[in-house]
Amino acid sequence: MWHRSASFILDKNQNDTVYPADSVTLTPPPPSSISTPQNPNPNLNRNMSMSAYYQTRAAHHGVVTSDWLAQSQEAATRAVVTGGQEIVDGGKSGRAFSVIDEFNNWRKQPDLAEAVAAIRALAAVIRNSEAKTMMELEIELKKASDSLKSWDTTSISLTAGCDLFMRYVTRTSALEYEDFNSARSRLIERAEKFGEISYKARKIIAMLSQDFIFDGCTILVHGFSRVVMEVLKMAAQNKKLFRVLCTEGRPDRSGLRLANELAKLDVPVKLLIDSAVAYTMDEVDMVFVGADGVVESGGIINMMGTYQIALVAHSMNKPVYVAAESYKFARLYPLDQKDMGPALRPIDFGVPIPSKVEVETSARDYTPPQYLTLLFTDLGVLTPSVVSDELIQLYL
Amino acid sequence: MQFDDQGRVNKSKKRAVFNQPEAKNRVELFRHLPQYEHGSQLTDLESKFLELDSMHPAVYKVGVQYLAGDVTGGNARCIAMLRAFQEVINDYSTPPGKTLVRDLTAKISSYVSFLIECRPLSMSMGNAIRFQKSRIAKLPLTLSETEAKAALCNDIDRFINEKIILADKVIVRHAATKVRDGDVLLTYGSSCVVEMILLYAHELGKQFRVVVVDSRPKHEGQALLRRLLAKGLSCTYTHINAVSYIMHEVTRVFLGASSVLSNGTTYSRVGTACVAMVAHAFRVPVLICCEAYKFHERVQLDSICSNELGDSNDIARVPGRPDVNSMDNRTNEKNLQFLNLMYDATPSEYVSMIITDYGMIPPTSVPVIVREYRREYLLI
Repeated sequence: MWHRSASFILDKNQNDTVYPADSVTLTPPPPSSISTPQNPNPNLNRNMSMSAYYQTRAAHHGVVTSDWLAQSQEAATRAVVTGGQEIVDGGKSGRAFSVIDEFNNWRKQPDLAEAVAAIRALAAVIRNSEAKTMMELEIELKKASDSLKSWDTTSISLTAGCDLFMRYVTRTSALEYEDFNSARSRLIERAEKFGEISYKARKIIAMLSQDFIFDGCTILVHGFSRVVMEVLKMAAQNKKLFRVLCTEGRPDRSGLRLANELAKLDVPVKLLIDSAVAYTMDEVDMVFVGADGVVESGGIINMMGTYQIALVAHSMNKPVYVAAESYKFARLYPLDQKDMGPALRPIDFGVPIPSKVEVETSARDYTPPQYLTLLFTDLGVLTPSVVSDELIQLYL
Repeated sequence: MQFDDQGRVNKSKKRAVFNQPEAKNRVELFRHLPQYEHGSQLTDLESKFLELDSMHPAVYKVGVQYLAGDVTGGNARCIAMLRAFQEVINDYSTPPGKTLVRDLTAKISSYVSFLIECRPLSMSMGNAIRFQKSRIAKLPLTLSETEAKAALCNDIDRFINEKIILADKVIVRHAATKVRDGDVLLTYGSSCVVEMILLYAHELGKQFRVVVVDSRPKHEGQALLRRLLAKGLSCTYTHINAVSYIMHEVTRVFLGASSVLSNGTTYSRVGTACVAMVAHAFRVPVLICCEAYKFHERVQLDSICSNELGDSNDIARVPGRPDVNSMDNRTNEKNLQFLNLMYDATPSEYVSMIITDYGMIPPTSVPVIVREYRREYLLI
């Protein structure tokens, strides 16, 4: 097992399923570990229709239990031993450069967004490619992008990030150059630039949103978005006086983690259960959410509960601000809640539920653009109708 | 041209190819739109057949087809007109002392005014004519006459192929992804694109049923219904007065458009706005299917400032029902005016998405497409 991240639960599932042909697993998968109370069946794979994306997020940002902590320590020590072996083997196998492995290497850091990891991995594909013609390189890139996208089909930002990377990189007149090497170095340059932009996106968004947070305001936050965290962190560092109302975010309870982080920054935080949103909406000045994906209509796809909060805020005339990086703009257009691909996540109610009772396990919902006020992106502060404008300009 | 300006109307009458008597009893609000007595128009025009030396027979034929109502629908009219222009260009020879560019443009303009007399232009036709004229103006001067003619005919072929035929295929592919099993799809009137979408989705094996909403006086939905039934789709047929009754069962509404304007307003067959409004009230998504060449940079806020008036006798009379025809002989009464509007404007709030050959876009993105599209076709 090569991976040291907290998402080892997820990676173990990946080792069970068959990889596409371009990857070579050099070490055998580890023996199965004890079940954790959080993920009752660690051997969940795609057949049990569990969204890998939400599993990762749960692993990264969900509540940490002591059993789970012990397991991750164990995995870390085991991985250190095999870490050295990995480098040696990697060198020996030569052409066994796998984009998935590169991706997973980048994804180790919980601070790095999945899409940015994918973009860095694709940039590495160009760098390590042995293609001699532009056509070959593009085909290789396309294959790598497809394998990354199929790794998790429910993650919108991953798909969108890969697509946008492909468009950005290949949409240059440098490809007209006769000399393949100069064209290739131009491609690498653009790829690195895109990676840099995406990585710095959070900082830019945080800077843009500072003007909207005034002293004495009350912000309602839903779900653990690293972008929103960055915004609030920067506001706290700029000595702004504000307080945050944080929803619990069942079932993965990511709100608790967010509340923890905010408390460390000395920001006054109040935790709410999800049902108390309408009750407290009167004292709220603005709602801040992140996004898993921004769709063509200008609406967002985000953790379950966002639509509800947006509806309540809209009816009470409170602004809803979305902080999303521009690589999350996807070419989807859902017409209603059920018009998206399913992303399911098992819910643990704490008590056994009889098998006759069905449970709504969808992990995300769609918020239409009329309930959103503004989008903070690294392209600037936009209204929802501008998303389509940007996508048209990039894709046509 | 605004038809309530008497001076300009008289001037244009002098240039007119055939004389159309104006309708006597007209609604004040719509005086700026042309309205003629429909009874004698067709016979008048046909009698002029041998007198028209300046008129190319292909254009004359298309004009008669428009007047008689044989060719209807934005795409069909546009293609008929462009094919007629192709024949004109093929048969054209530059008269001595004149340049091809100027003379051909003048000829096309005169043919266009004739077609306007037969039936006012739709916006898609206006866009096609503007494209045509810009292609003529852009002809390099070094080309010989035959080369120039071949280039122009080629351009027309490309326009029809890319902007209409292929565009329809792309729209059908996109729209079919929005049809799920168990859907109930509602459509109004007869749009060729919507028909293609329904047939394609049926071929793909999706299980859905169709509600066809129709209205007087044209009953365009009946032809659509017949074609759908022939392919084995399950259909329901109703009139527009029942649309709020049936809307609660409907999951998606597919509508065609004559044009989409820059503020997202859809300009389409009269009754479309009604259907869209009821769908919006029932929170049913409304999908407009329209090729990008029909987009226009104009902005229209209501259905009055630009429209088309049809024959008032169509409203007064119900074919096959002599007992209901009490209105029939009263078209010239002073206190009674008949109004037969052909188009209406659907506001953008009622439209969920527009499916074009550029993909699925929200109504707010129409000016973006107009901007990018104009740049593109000026460069080909």
